[in-house]
Amino acid sequence: MNLFSNNVFRQLVSRAIRTDYLENLTGFAWLILQPLALLAVYAFVFTTIFQARIPEAGPGGFVPYLAIAFWPWTAFSESILRSSSCISANAALIGKVAFPSEMLPLSTVTATFLMNMAGYLAVLIVLQLMGTPIQWLGIFAAIPVLVLLYIFACGLALFISALQVFIRDVSQILSPLMTFWFFTTPIIYSSSLLPEPLATVMKFNPMSWYVQRLRDFLLLGNYELSVYDLLVPMLTVLVFWAALKFFRRFSAHFEDFL
Amino acid sequence: MKPLIRLQGVSKFYPRVHRPRERLRAFASLMAGNEIREGAEVLHDVSLEISSGQSFGIIGENGAGKSTLLKILTGVITPSRGSVEVNARMAALLELGAGFQPEFSGIDNVRMKSALLGMSSSELDKNLDSILAFADIGDYVYEPVKHYSSGMVVRLGFAVVAASNPELLITDEVLAVGDESFQKKCIRWIESFLEQGNTLLMVSHSMYLVQKLCRKALWLHEGHARELGDVFSVTQSYLAYHEERSASERRDRQAQRGESGLYNISDFLLPQQSDDGALVLEYGDDLSAELVLHSPDGIPPVALFGVMRADGTPVYGVSSDYDQIEAEQLDDQHYRYRICFESLPLLPGSYSIRGHAMDPQGIRLCDTAELRFSVSGASREMGMIRLPHRWNTKE
Repeated sequence: MNLFSNNVFRQLVSRAIRTDYLENLTGFAWLILQPLALLAVYAFVFTTIFQARIPEAGPGGFVPYLAIAFWPWTAFSESILRSSSCISANAALIGKVAFPSEMLPLSTVTATFLMNMAGYLAVLIVLQLMGTPIQWLGIFAAIPVLVLLYIFACGLALFISALQVFIRDVSQILSPLMTFWFFTTPIIYSSSLLPEPLATVMKFNPMSWYVQRLRDFLLLGNYELSVYDLLVPMLTVLVFWAALKFFRRFSAHFEDFL
Repeated sequence: MKPLIRLQGVSKFYPRVHRPRERLRAFASLMAGNEIREGAEVLHDVSLEISSGQSFGIIGENGAGKSTLLKILTGVITPSRGSVEVNARMAALLELGAGFQPEFSGIDNVRMKSALLGMSSSELDKNLDSILAFADIGDYVYEPVKHYSSGMVVRLGFAVVAASNPELLITDEVLAVGDESFQKKCIRWIESFLEQGNTLLMVSHSMYLVQKLCRKALWLHEGHARELGDVFSVTQSYLAYHEERSASERRDRQAQRGESGLYNISDFLLPQQSDDGALVLEYGDDLSAELVLHSPDGIPPVALFGVMRADGTPVYGVSSDYDQIEAEQLDDQHYRYRICFESLPLLPGSYSIRGHAMDPQGIRLCDTAELRFSVSGASREMGMIRLPHRWNTKE
């Protein structure tokens, strides 16, 4: 796919970055500050109020354990929420110029990931400075995981943004759905704390694999492989492929429904 | 040679999607792979072939499906039935705004638009100065497009399209928005674009522009192709259709005005014109016109005749009081004037002649009627009229 060398796509990404993040002077600062503030809230609630203890949290305790999973999750969920209504938001463009409209959700996801990954890197550095030993070599293993997460987000964004054109309520349902997904993914807790039937069910959540692998590589230095290291990437590619097919099949009719 | 554009049996239904349940049903039938058949049919079985260099005009009333047809050609919407084939590097300027996003600055929108037209960043950088010069909107390019006047949007949109070097240019009725000097600039550009062997496909309500720029035309009427062929015959039947439609309205209006005490035109005709169509003269023919004026108070009104090019550029005008001509009295209230312009020096093209009723003092213009005629022939002379001339050569 020559998507990334496509001038339209690059324009769309730079446009999304500017409107969503750089529109005001503080926009870029908020990109780092907002998740940091949220992280501080979660850290306070779980370490001070609930006194949560995660046995395998690894070096640094709860905060790095949470932070490593929190940014990729934010990138993932934000990119899906942002792109869900991107087709109707760009109705003027779609109605007047013929271009591959899958670029709209894809550029939104790309912009969100780029910005959040910049924030992620900053957080890793902050954690290191605060005394948590980050496995810097693990980055080379983490990058493919993040790329897969990006592909997964692209797939869902394609599917949801196309569906939203036909069923407007999708964006309303999406926000509680993503909150539910957040709490059913071991981000603020560890799956080892779950009672048995639930723990097995949770393994079917692909996001569990993503956050756990990122912790393994960046925090724990655990490179053991399991069957999920094959299944989840395969599922991700499958989701992306099916979503792209779905999108392309229906994109020809967008203009009639906008 | 492959045609530039080939449409075969194209129909378009817009599904009914206002209420959520209708949307859902339309979506379900799409999922099931069915054609959408219910809803408004905007185009019905339109077939069309355009070859390279054969510029094409689409005319028709509002709501006839012209814009839908253009959107289908540009690929913005998919036809419900039929096939579309376009074999050219195409640039389209549809509607006002041309896909610009209002919150972004002009220059950002130029970048986006040029990318959409297939230009790379380096091509754009090369062309940026000429785009800005063509648009000629000064420092406004750095302002958000939402602050632009409609004319400025079109200027910028056209400038980018012009720079993208298309083989096929598709425009909607957008040029009408620009001011006169910009319109002229665009038309000059389009003319040189056509001279290079490129093709234009335009929707316009200006028959003058269509005749000037296009060689063939399609008349769309309520989604059907009513007439397709040579631009002059199609535009003439379209105008005749309008003439017919408005004739009864005009008769009513005239009846009313007759009682209001104004001097008005009760008949204006060109005796050379046959019943079935527009008058076509050869270069150098005489042009006769006849004007019957109605005068409620019985005093003969003054008549004024004017000849102009189809775009309204005046060529010549003369009034009966200037020439001190007396009217021919038909009855108590009706007067007739007849005029003949001998061996007309007009160059081939479309023209119109107007008859005006003026008050007996020749001060106030009371009524106007207009008829079209054209001068046929092939001439490579330029301008509107032939000036008598002589080349001074050695011996």
